[in-house]
Amino acid sequence: MNKKLLEVKNLVVEYRLGTNIMRALDNISFSIKKGEVLGIAGESGCGKSSLGLAIMRLLPRAGKISQGKILFKERNLLRLSETEMNREIRGREIAMIFQNPLHALNPVFTIETQMVDIMRFNLRYQQLNINKKNISLKDRAIELLKETGLADPEERISDYPFQFSGGMKQRVMIAMAFISNPPLLIADEPTTALDVTIEAEILVIIKNLVNKYKNSILYISHDLGVISEISDRVMIIYAGKIVEMADSRSLFDDPRHPYTRALLESLPDTKTHKGRLPTIPGCVPPLDKLPKGCSFHPRCLFVEEICKKNTPEFVELAPNHWVACLREGKLGRRTKCF
Amino acid sequence: MIQENIANSSPKRSNYRKKNSQIKKIAGILRIILHDYRGQIGSAFIILMVVCAIFSPWIAPFDPYEQDILNRFASPSLTHLLGTDYLGRDILSRIIYGSRVAAMVSFGSVCFSAIAGVIIGVIGGYKEGRKLDYAIILVFDIIRSFPQLILALALVAVIGPSVRNLILALAFTAFPFYGRLARAETLSVKEEDYVKAAKALGATNIQIIFKHIIPNTLSPVIVTGGMDLATMIMYEASLSFLGLGVRPPTASWGIMLRNGLTYIHTSPFMIIWPALTIAIAMIGFSLFAESLRIALNPKERKLHE
Amino acid sequence: MLKYVIKRILWIIPTVLGVLILLFSLTYFLPGDPASVMLGPRATPELIKDLNHRLHLDQPVYTRLGYYILGVLRGDLGESVWSGHKVSSLIVNSLPYTIILAVCSMGLAALVGIFLGVFATIYKESIIDHLVTGISLVGVAVPDFVAACLLLLIFAVHLNLFPVLGAGEAGNIADEIHHLILPVISLAIGWIGYLSRLTRETMLEVIDSDYIRVAKAFGIPAKHIYYKYALKNAIIPIITVIGLGIGKLLGGAVLVEIIFNRPGLGKLVVDAVYARDLPVVQGGILMATLLFVLANLIADISYAYIDPRIQYE
Repeated sequence: MNKKLLEVKNLVVEYRLGTNIMRALDNISFSIKKGEVLGIAGESGCGKSSLGLAIMRLLPRAGKISQGKILFKERNLLRLSETEMNREIRGREIAMIFQNPLHALNPVFTIETQMVDIMRFNLRYQQLNINKKNISLKDRAIELLKETGLADPEERISDYPFQFSGGMKQRVMIAMAFISNPPLLIADEPTTALDVTIEAEILVIIKNLVNKYKNSILYISHDLGVISEISDRVMIIYAGKIVEMADSRSLFDDPRHPYTRALLESLPDTKTHKGRLPTIPGCVPPLDKLPKGCSFHPRCLFVEEICKKNTPEFVELAPNHWVACLREGKLGRRTKCF
Repeated sequence: MIQENIANSSPKRSNYRKKNSQIKKIAGILRIILHDYRGQIGSAFIILMVVCAIFSPWIAPFDPYEQDILNRFASPSLTHLLGTDYLGRDILSRIIYGSRVAAMVSFGSVCFSAIAGVIIGVIGGYKEGRKLDYAIILVFDIIRSFPQLILALALVAVIGPSVRNLILALAFTAFPFYGRLARAETLSVKEEDYVKAAKALGATNIQIIFKHIIPNTLSPVIVTGGMDLATMIMYEASLSFLGLGVRPPTASWGIMLRNGLTYIHTSPFMIIWPALTIAIAMIGFSLFAESLRIALNPKERKLHE
Repeated sequence: MLKYVIKRILWIIPTVLGVLILLFSLTYFLPGDPASVMLGPRATPELIKDLNHRLHLDQPVYTRLGYYILGVLRGDLGESVWSGHKVSSLIVNSLPYTIILAVCSMGLAALVGIFLGVFATIYKESIIDHLVTGISLVGVAVPDFVAACLLLLIFAVHLNLFPVLGAGEAGNIADEIHHLILPVISLAIGWIGYLSRLTRETMLEVIDSDYIRVAKAFGIPAKHIYYKYALKNAIIPIITVIGLGIGKLLGGAVLVEIIFNRPGLGKLVVDAVYARDLPVVQGGILMATLLFVLANLIADISYAYIDPRIQYE
């Protein structure tokens, strides 16, 4: 079905620090279909984490959604009350897998208690089985833990979080996210805090579960390799704005935005690179001191006079391939210059 | 940078620079305290009490020892603003003079216990793991095993009640707390890189202790000391209440409270005024200690902004 | 866990020894000649000398110290100079009053204080929060004996609602409770202030943790988060404080006992100090200190027990 599961329109997220107000997300619009994996990539500090938190309405005290709509199953999430949000959406329709599993579990309760609590509050009555004894819930939890590949789940479910390693904790978090089989999952850099080997395993787990249960995922990461592995469509964010959005294939084969180009070219590759690793000159500007015109122009290899004055529009340059660049994708075959 | 420092480190210039920055730091802390409502109220109370203590002969309307038997148990009036006690003495004057004892005992005992505690604690921490350290910890623990009031009580009973003895006894019960604090700070500062660097450059132990370790202990010690000021007022009042503090007929809030209790059925004023005074004094000092704690603690400062 | 407990207990032995030595040296210097006091004004020099010998008062310091320690270990704390009763039985008789007072006060303070603290966290920055903060400030600052005096004045003397003196008729529970109310409130006020403050601070820290945010992300309702998820984490340091507090109350309710004339341990010690009754002073302080140390030990161990992380280390 082509119906959009999640539709974000003109979202603006602002943070207030003292007297400064900075826009972490500036006029973001995109949508996700049922069963689709949308990857969101960008450097640290570009605002991508705020996207996940904004959808769940879990922004910290200093953050605020000041404009826009978030339509989930055609309901504007921003119009719901906090109780409605908690009861109907969080953990049930949309679940989040967090970045750092280290402190994500309550240290004084067993895994079983925490998982059973999530079930009690999120599963509909029918799903809970008429016999409400915790035994069946515990078995359900053990099943889920098995699916995430956690070793020895019958024993470990009675353990406390501090007895788990980082990778194991992340598996528990993933199992928790799948408890109510939510239509939408938001994965906020789930592998960033883990070793590379564990990272690979976790990715496999996520892919298998998604294939099996057909959920949509909003996968946020700064690692383009991971994004390319898991996403159907990709969105690149820079300084709070979307700079390029396309099907995965289309984006990685033919990047049209200078930033995307530069990101891909900076991936280390022993075959073609010899000598110094390529980098993008300059650094990400602080969100309260963005450059005039196109936010990327001070670091852009293809910059022109017009880029310093005008902000680019989001334009569909090829079917389903959108770019926000004043040069409109006409970058030529210019290669890196280091 | 290093060259600059060496060139500028003629003793006069570096001392001036150090004093200047220290004064600026203290001024900054005072400013934070005075901006906070707690600091404002608290400082006002402390100043009020210190003024009363120092200038009591000029502020008090009557002589606190002057008896007027014909006029005892008087209710508040225009002459005796707070009434008179069972011997006809003016309550207001006795309260004002009582602030002397309270101020002397609290400031005195806090100073003594803090200084003694820090010195012993730092020595123990510096010589961590050696016999001296274990002995010091043992002494601290032994003294801390006693309930403070009871130990102070016993000490005063032995050495005799007087203001000086009260200060010493209370300081004795309190110094282990400062000692533990100082020792803990010493242990952590000892391992810092800049201390190791100083040692490598040939600094003696004494120099390290005074330049690096003791300044680091100042902050928690001052915060604890601030809170202790209030606590010591309470202990002085408690001991005087028991007759084991200041000797009558000296005016002390604790003694006044005791007398008030004896005559509680006759005159409520004898007990109300000292009770309220002690309570208000402690609230004031506690507020000040609170704002002091926030001012000296960068984490707390952010929380309360 | 067992290792931890054993280590803690072992450290207590030298501490208690030091306590005994300190106590002994205190009473060694206490002015007054116990023998002549015990025998009265008509004692002859021979009788005094005889009593001195029996009490080991004519021996060198170290021997006396030895006798003292041995006596304590045997449970023999001597006899009261005034009444002749065994010190140990005097103490044992006074203990129940003190323990009941301490436990009830701390119990009340814990219930009210923790609840107020959680309440203040839930309604942070609102009037309720400021009210609780104000109450806690006053509670902490006003000493227990001042509160006792004021409560006594208002409720016992003027309003005549509560008895002024004593602990009530033994065996009559209702009467005993009636006599308990004012002293318990006086002691509890301070601790309510402190505990509500402490609970609020700990809860605020806990609420900011990752795992609370995660729980919220999974749709766990707010009340459940505050009262179950957050509180169980916050309560760990609070339990320790409560344990330590009971210890403090056991030795520190002295003035309240005197004001309300409750025959507890504190009153026993103070009366003995007035009367220069050495053995009772020694024994009483020893008991108060031991209770304090015991309370600290239990608090430490229960901290290790409640926080599962420490148990497994």
